[in-house]
Amino acid sequence: MKKCHITFQLNGITCEVLVNPNQTLVRMLRDDLGLTGTKYGCGEGDCGSCTVLLDGEPVNSCLMLAAQVDGHQITTIEGLADGDKLHPLQTSFIEKGAIQCGFCTPGMILSAKNLLETQPNPSELEVRTAISGNLCRCTGYQKIVEAILATASPDCQCSSGDAKNCHEED
Amino acid sequence: MLLPKFDYNAPSDLEEACQIMANYGDQAKLLAGGTDLLIALRKKSVTPAQIVALDRIEDLEGGWGDEEGFFLGSRTTAAEIAESDYGPAGQALAQAASQVGSPLIRNLATIGGNLATAMPAADMAPPLLALQASVVLQKYGARREVAISDFFVAPGEQVMLAEEIMSLIFIPELPAGSGGAFEKLGVRKALERSIVSVATVISLDDDGKTINQVRIALGAVAPTPMLAVNAAAGLCGKKATAKNFTEAGKTAAQEAQPRGLRTSALYSRLMVETLTVRALNRAFDAASQ
Repeated sequence: MKKCHITFQLNGITCEVLVNPNQTLVRMLRDDLGLTGTKYGCGEGDCGSCTVLLDGEPVNSCLMLAAQVDGHQITTIEGLADGDKLHPLQTSFIEKGAIQCGFCTPGMILSAKNLLETQPNPSELEVRTAISGNLCRCTGYQKIVEAILATASPDCQCSSGDAKNCHEED
Repeated sequence: MLLPKFDYNAPSDLEEACQIMANYGDQAKLLAGGTDLLIALRKKSVTPAQIVALDRIEDLEGGWGDEEGFFLGSRTTAAEIAESDYGPAGQALAQAASQVGSPLIRNLATIGGNLATAMPAADMAPPLLALQASVVLQKYGARREVAISDFFVAPGEQVMLAEEIMSLIFIPELPAGSGGAFEKLGVRKALERSIVSVATVISLDDDGKTINQVRIALGAVAPTPMLAVNAAAGLCGKKATAKNFTEAGKTAAQEAQPRGLRTSALYSRLMVETLTVRALNRAFDAASQ
């Protein structure tokens, strides 16, 4: 089994790695590079806890070989904060109590980040669709949805957290 | 869990990929989106000596059209297809692509992989059957075109030779006044394998009421995705009325061959009827616009 020499951007930093061809992306991130923010859940693309951004798009890193990221950009949850300053989504998840056991949180936040970049003012349905590949076993979906909507519209105070409706009422 | 050992090949063009496949044949597995292959590797239900990744081959990406119809690269992702505008008939394909797996899966999963895996419930197969699509299969020194209606053989089996690579999907141009729709039944909205899926494509006569051509394709209710030929034949030349659509739904339900694996065969047939009527109504609306 010939090792693969790959070069890719990881959270904005150029990485050169020698990986086994049968190494999955999630395993390389966690075991070889020590970035354990990306969680390993089902290993079959069902739970979304291993979500990373591949060139900005959320994907299941358990369903990719590490060798496939050669020449691409990968963003993990570790790449979101700016030094000690958390990303607005991270702050909102804390403020809204959207984190219970925390296992799904990195994936939820990365899926949400992609949504807000493509749709800065999403409806509740768009939020729920965007995170439909990310499962929360604590079933804390309501707070998660509220946290994402609140990030989109920080001034929104309505309890449903439906930013779009809130704006329309304004 | 560790995957079995294999070597990794990432050819940069189709010719190189065909050469590699000619060398290794059934020792090699093609890697497109990987959403099925990686699971199979993990379960060790496949143990290839070589993996041939297709993601560096630019010719396999994206879509383009000419006067004969529309070509889609086999590596086009479900997410890209879901966001594309293929016109009133082709929207059946975009609607199906938008319901594959989850957003995370759709960013990886490809149309070529969805077909090559040949699952009876593959979401993108029924619309391609209804659109009379064909696929281009290439191997070193040869290429052939296979109609989608001749492509599937059995659950998990299709006509591709071990050394062949699917390069393109071709969707022929439909007459003006055509429309399509896709309906999927599942117990949840994401990460769901279809219990029943139906795609229909209708082409109307100039009067805007008479059905000139129609195709009804069913997923998950037979060993392969299938066309409900009798239901479609019974509609041709008739008016697009609720009564005729209901009749077509009943005929399609009789044509389905559900094996009662994921739900009872009776329920499958009832849902074929319901979804066929819904899909015909929506396809008619699309054709009328």
